[in-house]
Amino acid sequence: MHQYIIRRALLNIVVILLVITGVFIGLRATPGDFAVSQAAGRVTNVNSGEATALVRHDLGLDRPLLEQYGDFVSGFFRGDLGNSFATKRPVMAELKDRLAPSVELAILEILIAVVVAVPVGILSAVRQDTWLDYILRFFAIFWLGVPSFFVGVLLLYFLSRWAHWSPPITDYQDFFENPWMNLQAMVLPAVAGGLAAGAIIMRFLRSQLLEVLHQDYVRTAWAKGLRERTVIMRHALKNALIPVLTVVGLLLATIASGNVVLETLFNLPGLGGYAVNAIRQNDYPVVQGVVLLVATSLVFVNLVVDVAYAWLDPRIRYG
Amino acid sequence: MLMGQEEAGLGVLTAGQELYAPGPGWLRLVGRFIRRKPLGAFGIGVVLVMSLAAGAAPWLSRYDAEERFLTANPAYAPGTFEPEQKQDARAGPSLKHWFGTDQGGRDNYARLVWGARRSLGVALGALLFAILFGTSIGIVSGYYRGWLDMILQRLMDSIQAFPAMLILLLLVALTKSSLVTLSMGLGFVALASVQRIIRSAVLTAREEPHVEAARAIGCSAPRLMCVHILPNVAAPIIVVFSIGLGSIILADAALAFLGLAPIEPPSWGMMLNEGRGYMNSQPSTMLAAGLAITLTVLGFNLAGDALRDFLDPRIRLQ
Repeated sequence: MHQYIIRRALLNIVVILLVITGVFIGLRATPGDFAVSQAAGRVTNVNSGEATALVRHDLGLDRPLLEQYGDFVSGFFRGDLGNSFATKRPVMAELKDRLAPSVELAILEILIAVVVAVPVGILSAVRQDTWLDYILRFFAIFWLGVPSFFVGVLLLYFLSRWAHWSPPITDYQDFFENPWMNLQAMVLPAVAGGLAAGAIIMRFLRSQLLEVLHQDYVRTAWAKGLRERTVIMRHALKNALIPVLTVVGLLLATIASGNVVLETLFNLPGLGGYAVNAIRQNDYPVVQGVVLLVATSLVFVNLVVDVAYAWLDPRIRYG
Repeated sequence: MLMGQEEAGLGVLTAGQELYAPGPGWLRLVGRFIRRKPLGAFGIGVVLVMSLAAGAAPWLSRYDAEERFLTANPAYAPGTFEPEQKQDARAGPSLKHWFGTDQGGRDNYARLVWGARRSLGVALGALLFAILFGTSIGIVSGYYRGWLDMILQRLMDSIQAFPAMLILLLLVALTKSSLVTLSMGLGFVALASVQRIIRSAVLTAREEPHVEAARAIGCSAPRLMCVHILPNVAAPIIVVFSIGLGSIILADAALAFLGLAPIEPPSWGMMLNEGRGYMNSQPSTMLAAGLAITLTVLGFNLAGDALRDFLDPRIRLQ
């Protein structure tokens, strides 16, 4: 097991190196250059070609590509991601500011998804093929088709129309400073994203639970005369939840993707909006930093999920 | 004679029941499918309607998608700055404009119909791209295994380590976005999971006796892969195709919603984003666009599920 973890961790580092190399090349191979747009807005007495060259020199973009790449990779191992072209601040510090809202949103979404999906999934499996099951399953399939940003827009529309409530338009407040204001800003995107993720979890939990409910040990539990509650909660659910854990881990990637849109829609100062802006401005260090951060967390979350999977289910052995 | 048929019918059960149902054969089959899988039938219906809208957009759309309708300006008076006519913007649903008009006085129905052509076209292109390259990579990777497989799979891992939306943002925003690059970007994102499914199918297919036999009589590697293994992975390819379309349409709509897709031809995501700007005074644009996305994705998912059950119940995406 230890060997497996070490090997996977090393492989993850290779994957991350590939990812950042891909981003590095992708950014520089495509048209659009921060220096050109920056120089256009500057002093007028120098001609634009010279101004662009000056800006490029300031940013270090005129150095050989291999040298830039070497700097970038060695900086990555030292924990230095360079400075943002636009703000000149260290990317590391900016990422730190932007991380909190994104992480909070992801946690809230997972919470809502699990709180909704687990009871619904259990109910749907236990009452298999009744009208209740059909309705719940239809809702789950329906939520898979509704884009989370449409749910977000609908929530905004109907809440302002019927309840005369809309999220505060003040600046974003940190959870630990002003939890009430913070949650008001977070609740709608969390519900919109959480329900979409919940639909996936519910469908998966239902099929897992159905499989477990047909196993011999569950029949034994029924035969012993245990209450329905005990059979389902204690005996069946425990085993059905293990594979669901993997899905929750994989969902993090989906959630991170969806949040780019939700953060933009709800004006949250998270990584999503930051990335969209940086990409529009060709702010290379910021784009590289965001991609690096997200990719790193995703591959290691996947590793943790796989390890937790083996730990919870002793039948699973990684060689 | 009649008795004999009935007895035979009892033996074959379903075949026997069909003998006495009214109507031509295919109609009975359709009827049975609708009764057995109502949701799948609904999905296939949606897919057919959307495909029709996409295919026949010029004949179904009634108006041009970019035409700006004008009406007389009630505030018009000679000698003032008020123009004689102004754009018939943000109109509600009427017989003239079935789904109302948008902020520029353009007909929402026409834009939805053209949006169907754009949405389905982009998704189809993306999926063809993903399947063409995904199948090639999956077959080569699964056939040769060893170090080539290792390298290809780590490359694919690194594509999957990105959140899909970030790759799309990068690809679309950095290349001057056109429908073709958009389509290729979406296909690229789907590539990793497509090739994974194909590869695992190849891993089993390559051990089959007929492949073994072909190898024994000295078939070359390309011939083995194309002639003997490829037909064996056709079912997973079709399944991937039907299930993938829904999520690609969704991702495409999200990009357009963020304003990162070309503004012409009109797209549902863009309409939804524009419509939410004035949804409190006139929600028809926002609702029509959002429901179009929802219905289409739902339809493709349901139809894909049904097709998967039909072709291969074992394969599951995610």
